[in-house]
Order: sequence, then structure tokens, then C-alpha cells
Amino acid sequence: MPALSAAELARYSRHLTLGEIGAAGQEKLKAARVLVVGAGGLGSPAALYLAAAGVGTLGLVDCDRVEISNLQRQVLFDTESITRPKVDVARERLLKLNPEIRVVAHSLELCAANVRDVLSGYDIVLDGTDRLATRYLVNDACVICRKPLVTAAIHRFEGQAMTYVPDRGPCYRCLFPDAAEGVVPSCAEAGVLGVLPGMLGALQATEAIKLIVGVGEPLVGRLLICDALEMRFDEFRVERRPDCAVCGRTPAITTPTDPPGSCTEEALRAARRLSPAELQAMLRESGSSARLQLIDVRAPKEFAVASLPGAVNIPITELPDRLGEIAPSATPVFLCRSGTRSLRACGLAIRAGIRAPAHLEGGLLAWAADVDSAFDVAPL
Amino acid sequence: MACTVRVASPLRSYTNGAASVTAVGGTLHEVLADLERRFPGMRFRMIDEQDRIRQHIRLFVNTQGAADLSAPVHDGDTVHLICALSGG
Repeated sequence: MPALSAAELARYSRHLTLGEIGAAGQEKLKAARVLVVGAGGLGSPAALYLAAAGVGTLGLVDCDRVEISNLQRQVLFDTESITRPKVDVARERLLKLNPEIRVVAHSLELCAANVRDVLSGYDIVLDGTDRLATRYLVNDACVICRKPLVTAAIHRFEGQAMTYVPDRGPCYRCLFPDAAEGVVPSCAEAGVLGVLPGMLGALQATEAIKLIVGVGEPLVGRLLICDALEMRFDEFRVERRPDCAVCGRTPAITTPTDPPGSCTEEALRAARRLSPAELQAMLRESGSSARLQLIDVRAPKEFAVASLPGAVNIPITELPDRLGEIAPSATPVFLCRSGTRSLRACGLAIRAGIRAPAHLEGGLLAWAADVDSAFDVAPL
Repeated sequence: MACTVRVASPLRSYTNGAASVTAVGGTLHEVLADLERRFPGMRFRMIDEQDRIRQHIRLFVNTQGAADLSAPVHDGDTVHLICALSGG
């Protein structure tokens, strides 16, 4: 175990006083490597508390930029952070809080092609993503790679949390075997009390610290439900499912897999990623967007607020049926709000045989930040 | 037999926002039928055409998870309707 410096002994004195942690526990925290997936409502407080607690290596995964609507709950960021990549701002903030630790920024979207590689550098994973597909991908990868996972999710005034430890209890798929995107409303659609992810994210950090130090009883096999309106906590026993698709006796999922329509290995490798400045230069070079076909894959209501000149709107949900509208001689450049849906569009195009599609990295939010500050990016 | 039903946040649009409602029935099947009579459409959000609990839903009687709708419900029990959440 790494020894604690004089500065660290002073910094962590309240931990050192606790018999359950002490110097030995604090050294375990210093040696620990924790990955936080999603630098959002849950990831913000979780990362802040883990950094403050002295977790030696803290990784953050997120490919989004800070938006003003994040600030009601995502306490890693402030007003000056708007339009900046979340993981960059988060890294600065966490190192200011605790310069004794190492913070690794993973500015990417997790997918089957990269999840094992990213997880390989960490001992414990905290899931604070806002996408169900990523939630299942992270769970499956943690089961396959045998990493403990502290999962949490929120909706309006309700939160839920559970901890998975290999061989000791059920995984997230034992709890909810499957959930199609769309059947479960997102916070963007339904709203969320800003302080709720603060409660659940702090709970996730607590679980991680307990697992690292080896004290207490983790939420293994126990689903915790919090109703903030009634300030009520309920706990439910959850058993391992012998037929679980990933941790059961004969698992059907033996390698992390992308759900249909998500980013894929081909998309990551073959899609050309254009910065806002590169796209601007390409549009100027061609004099018009004739050789480039700008395809905005946002929802029609987002497209109606503002769009790039010459862009056509093919919502991502309609793209599989409308790929024939892409001219064979043109280079399609997919656009969306933050660059997530457009990368997915590249994957769909590549699988349909369209060669060398491109997308605007960082999306129209990056365009507004770097090229045209007057461009009005519609909220989700 | 009367029980209390705790309603997951995403299902409260059916109960006019109520977190808790009362229902009658000696099994989960009967309790959900009672809820459906009073809150039309709610059952289908949880149960599919083959009467199976949907994969993003869990039903508990008190703290005991139910594998299917035959689970008994006794007077004074609390039935919890739990739904996967996606927000982060």
C-alpha cells in the first residue's frame, strides 16, 4: 500500500480518526481506482466525494458538453463551464479539490468496442449514466470483467440504488432483465428534483468507499428505493436469477454487446469526426454544401428552432428507413445536438454500405461554442 | 382483502400523482385487476399480453419479490410496483 504523506495525514485526519478506516483504510483508498460513468447528476456528487475522500485514481466517462440546464443538479460545473466538455471541467474541479489524486478524463461514449479497455484500468465502477443502453452495457461488462458495480438511477422525486459484487449477489439484469429505450422516461422528459441525484450519488460514493476499505454491509442483493417527496426509503431483497442472461448459469451474453442503433466498433473506426472548424472549412471550400450532404438527425421540433443552411432533417428514429435519401456521390455529414446521435447515424450508414460518413463531433453545441455563437441549439 | 399499493414514479401519471393507493384482492392478479378498473391502462404498463411481468418492472409483496401474478396478498400487505429508471 502507498504510504500517506504529511499533507495527506492532515487532509484525511477525520478518516484516520475512524477506527473503521484509519491509516490502513486511507491507504487502500489511495491505492484504489474508481471509474464514474456519466459526469451528470449522479456522477457529480459521487466524483466530488470520492475525490475528497482520497480515492487515488478517479476516472470519468462522458462525451457531453455542459449545458445551462445541467447546472440545477450537476454540481461539478458552474456557469462559466457552459459549452465546455464535461470531463475537462470535472477534472479541473476535482484536482482543485484534491491535488493529491489522479483524475483521468475519458471523453467518449462507452460502447462494446471500448468498454473492456476503459474498465481495465479500474477496480470499481459507479454507474450514473442517463441512458438505459449504457446502463446494461456497463452492467454486462462489469459481470464479464468481474468488477464491482454501484448502480443508481433517478426519476422526478424517486431514486434507486443497488450494488453488484461478483459471486456475491445479483446484477442489474437480475433485477431488470431488459428495458427497451423509450419505455422508461428520461429526466429530460419527466424532470427531476435537483438535489435527488445529490442524495443518490453520495450514496454511490459511500458504497464505493465501503467496498474499498472493506467495512460495513454493501447494498448487495438489496434494492434501495428513495422517495424524496415523502422522504421514505424502502429496501427490497433481490435474488440472483439462475437464468440471468449475463450472470446466470448458462449466460447468453458472454461479451459486451451494443444494442441495435447504438455506436459500434465500425462507427468508431470508420466515421470521420469533424471539428466545428473543420466542417466550416469544408463548407467554405466547396462554396456550398453540394458535395457534402448535411443530415440533421435531431427531432423535427429541435430542427425547427435552428439548423445549418442546406441541412436536411432525417430524425435518427427514421434514418434506417430513409438511408436511400443519401446521394451516392455525396459525403454525408450527420449532425445532432451533442454528437451522440450523429455517431449512431454513422454506424447505421456504415452498416448500410455507405462509405466514409462523417459527423460533427460535439454536435451543434460545439458549433455554437466554436463557430457561430448566435446559433440557437434547441433543448432536448 | 385490502392492501396498500406503492406506485413507482413513472406510473403515477395513472394515479393522478398519488404515491400510494389502496386496492383489494387476494392475489397480485386480483390487485392489478382492481387497479386497472380504477386506473385504466396502468396494468398494461406492467404486464404483457401473456400475463407476464414486464422485464423492466418488479412487483413486491411487502419485501418479497413476486415471480408471477399468483403471489398471495393478505389483508394489510403493501404491494410495491417498481419500475427501472433511466435518469442519471
